Amino acid sequence: MHPAERQTDYRWPLLWAGALVALVGAALLGVAISESEAWAEVAGALGLSLVGWGALVQSFDAGALALGPSPAGAIAGPKMLVAGTLVWLAGWAIVASGIRRAPASTEGPSPAAGSTLYPRLARYRDFYWSTLGAYGGGILLAELVMLLLQTVLSSGVPSDLGGAARDAGGGASLPPTIAFAIALVVGAGVAFASGFVGASRAQRLSLPEATIGVFYLGLPVPILLSLMERVPSLQLALGYRLREVSYVAGLLGRPELGYWLVFAALVLALVLGINTGFIAAGSGRVDLRLGFELFVARRHVAVFRPSLLLGALAVLMFGIIPPLIIYFIIRGAEAAVERTRVKSLGLADPLAAASAQHRMKLHEQSPTMMMTALSVGGVGVGVMALIIVLSVMSGFEADLQQKILGTNAHAVVSKYAGELPEYAKVMEQVKRVPGVVGQTPFIINQVMIASEGNVDGVIIKGIDPHSVGSVTDLPQNILPGGDLDHLEHPARILPSRAVEDGEDAPTKKAPEEAEDPIIGKASKPSKPTVLPGIIVGRELAASLRVVVGDRVNVVSPLGTELGPSGPIPKSRAFRVAGVFYSGMYEYDSKFVYILLSEAQDFFALKGATGIELKVADIDDARRISNQVVRVLGGYPYRARDWGEMNKNLFSALRLEKLVMGIILSIIIIVAAGLIVATVIMLVLEKRKEISVLKALGVPDGGIVKIFLAEGLQIGVAGGLLGLFSGLAWCLFIEKVGIKLDPEVYYIPALPVRIEPVQTALSVVIAVLVTYLASIYPALKASSVEPVEGLKAE
Amino acid sequence: MALLSIRNVFKSYFLHGKRIDVLRAVSLDINAGELVSMVGASGAGKSTFLHVLGTLDAPAAGEVLFDGRSVFSMNDAEIAEFRNRTIGFVFQSHYLLPEFTALENVAMPALIQRRDRTGAYTYARELLERVGLGSRVDHRPGELSGGEAQRVALARALVLKPAVLLADEPTGNLDPTTGEGIHQLLRDVNRDLGITAVIVTHNETLARSMPRRLRLAGGQVSEA
Repeated sequence: MHPAERQTDYRWPLLWAGALVALVGAALLGVAISESEAWAEVAGALGLSLVGWGALVQSFDAGALALGPSPAGAIAGPKMLVAGTLVWLAGWAIVASGIRRAPASTEGPSPAAGSTLYPRLARYRDFYWSTLGAYGGGILLAELVMLLLQTVLSSGVPSDLGGAARDAGGGASLPPTIAFAIALVVGAGVAFASGFVGASRAQRLSLPEATIGVFYLGLPVPILLSLMERVPSLQLALGYRLREVSYVAGLLGRPELGYWLVFAALVLALVLGINTGFIAAGSGRVDLRLGFELFVARRHVAVFRPSLLLGALAVLMFGIIPPLIIYFIIRGAEAAVERTRVKSLGLADPLAAASAQHRMKLHEQSPTMMMTALSVGGVGVGVMALIIVLSVMSGFEADLQQKILGTNAHAVVSKYAGELPEYAKVMEQVKRVPGVVGQTPFIINQVMIASEGNVDGVIIKGIDPHSVGSVTDLPQNILPGGDLDHLEHPARILPSRAVEDGEDAPTKKAPEEAEDPIIGKASKPSKPTVLPGIIVGRELAASLRVVVGDRVNVVSPLGTELGPSGPIPKSRAFRVAGVFYSGMYEYDSKFVYILLSEAQDFFALKGATGIELKVADIDDARRISNQVVRVLGGYPYRARDWGEMNKNLFSALRLEKLVMGIILSIIIIVAAGLIVATVIMLVLEKRKEISVLKALGVPDGGIVKIFLAEGLQIGVAGGLLGLFSGLAWCLFIEKVGIKLDPEVYYIPALPVRIEPVQTALSVVIAVLVTYLASIYPALKASSVEPVEGLKAE
Repeated sequence: MALLSIRNVFKSYFLHGKRIDVLRAVSLDINAGELVSMVGASGAGKSTFLHVLGTLDAPAAGEVLFDGRSVFSMNDAEIAEFRNRTIGFVFQSHYLLPEFTALENVAMPALIQRRDRTGAYTYARELLERVGLGSRVDHRPGELSGGEAQRVALARALVLKPAVLLADEPTGNLDPTTGEGIHQLLRDVNRDLGITAVIVTHNETLARSMPRRLRLAGGQVSEA
């Protein structure tokens, strides 16, 4: 007899006594803590106790207080603390000893004899310590494995960089997101495997063990991580070691959300493992072969028929009404043709006509077939919606990212304070870092810009026209008529409208400036014969009402000059050398560019504000900027990557996408309800067949597998249909395009970006959900007694 | 030693809330190669007896021994495998699976055992020819007549060469001529293949033609 068939023997006196002893222990601990006035210190641990981790944390905490150097000094009763802990633990030990397997009975039929799989679901009374260990230990192990993998895989730098750049900690230095993907897959695998092993050893679902395991062993890690984000002392103790973990979680904007989502994913993997293990081994031994079950399941629900698949695909692509009309037309025509054929056949050969009529009747569909088609369509709609919406959101995100990165650098090297006079030397060093493909020095400042028509506050950037193209898209973004090179050669700037009207620009420039209504006569610009060039954004040019060749005044409130009536803002005149269009309204209305040397002169700087970098792989920008800092020798240098500089924007986008994904998954869950209904209908329809199969020797596990396979077929068919139709819609949006109102949006058409991972994930989620949905009806199917369906009619 | 023994078996079922004790301390031995008939009034529990004998239904008390081994002490998977390998069933209705052809239906027990599919189909075709249905292998049960379907069911029961064949009124739904054909097949199977057969029937002439006759009445089995 299998050990799992032994029932649990509860010795209630021991259980009660153990609980009492544990209570006494807890009371002793409480008294000890009160006497040492340490309640404030253990309050955090008590918070943990509320969610189920119990007094163990409390006692550890108290123990640590007793042993550690306590500022309070005199702890009233360390003895009482020790005693309390011991009594508490002893109480639990007594409780544990009160629960054990009943001894194997030597004679008579075993309790499980002849019992089917289904009733074993309801065996809540039994409690196996080994199963608790497998479930709880499994989820804890999965969490720890994930933390470890994330830290090991993504920290550190490649060792091909010598000297100071080498990280003492080592590590595989993969990009954090890839490291997270690996960690998640491995962690989920561990959780699944432990659930599988636990359930297949116990041959039951063991819900009490699963609940206790997840609560007591699974919850502490996410709780600890969440507390780490809030409690400063925990952050101090753990923050640095878990920096990779909190970085990845922080990509969502709220790290706690990340922790709990991952925890939920692990619990899901554990539940899947438990169910799979129970089904595979529930009837006595692990049997994962599926050939026969699939053979039967395919006949029961013939999902993979061209007509059904094409029909569902047509509905997904063109809506319900048009394919339905076409279907009825085709069916009507078909039936009419068939009827005439049978009629003419009937005149010649009545027997052949009869069999043809019989085949026509067989052709008619059962309601289960209709339900199957509906469920396939439901899953398909869910997956399709998920794929389309996520791809469009990715498109917006990619568009935004491209625009931000087209104007901004991937990373910026600067000092914590002050400017960077030695930028040439720094650039030499940075060039050696692998992964850096371009760099350019820059000066950034805020100024006022004034034209004849208007005035605006803008961000002015001094750039090096030779190298700026290696970092940003500015050279490509210049609209026709202007030229980046004209910054260096302002004499070549085309004359403006005013000149065309008959005025000579160079000669008229000085008087114009003197009469400037805003800057007035107070301004004392150095008066070159040729004014330096400036490049402005399209929106700014529109609001200032300037075109290439027009003159603008830049006023800096920072660098003041002394005038007759006291300090006055520094002002300088420029001519518009070009207009750029980045596609990002904020940039096109707020950025102006001048020559680096002009900026140095204007702001009285010797060097640059910093150096902008372009890296080979934008997802790797964080690691490369860390390397750059190491190469430069750390403080006072710092490097910030684009993700860090635009953290709020991108984490908001990711959070939005995640929430959207969860909301759309609800469609799939609704479709899963359809699948439950369909499979239950199938089970009711096939009661007799189930009995026959059992009589022929299919075990309960086999019946479960047959109906699981039927549900899964629906899920896989729906997922694939959703995948095809979703991708088709995405391609349609991409190739044909859906125009957006230019008044509202700053992009011409709806952007789409198909991300393979998230697309595959949509299908996988759909299949997992349908798997979970078919478990209940499949177990229900296995509960059909063989004799029930074999009663003589 | 007897191939099949029943030791002190009790079984009852409930009809409209009333308990009906159909087997009361029944003990019985059936030897290998025997051809046994069982008669009894409707509702006397003949089918229940057969179900207990065929491990489809567990007895409330008592043991069913096959070759000296208690079958109900095995777990679910082992019992299913035992049923698959050792016992062939023929019921009053044919109970063929409607989605499969005659050939697939016959091969089903072998497929459940995950045997090689081509080998199973070859032997199933052979069996179908022996019961005279060589031309109807690819027909679905819906396209077969009652007698044909029952012969397919018999072929299915025999495909794994079981030690025991249990038939529950196999001709109950058939006309006398067709029924006689089935009876002859059953006798041939017992004689040629040496399969132990227990046949429950209402047909007194058929029962009388069997070497050993049992009667179930009042929860007791007696030799008739």
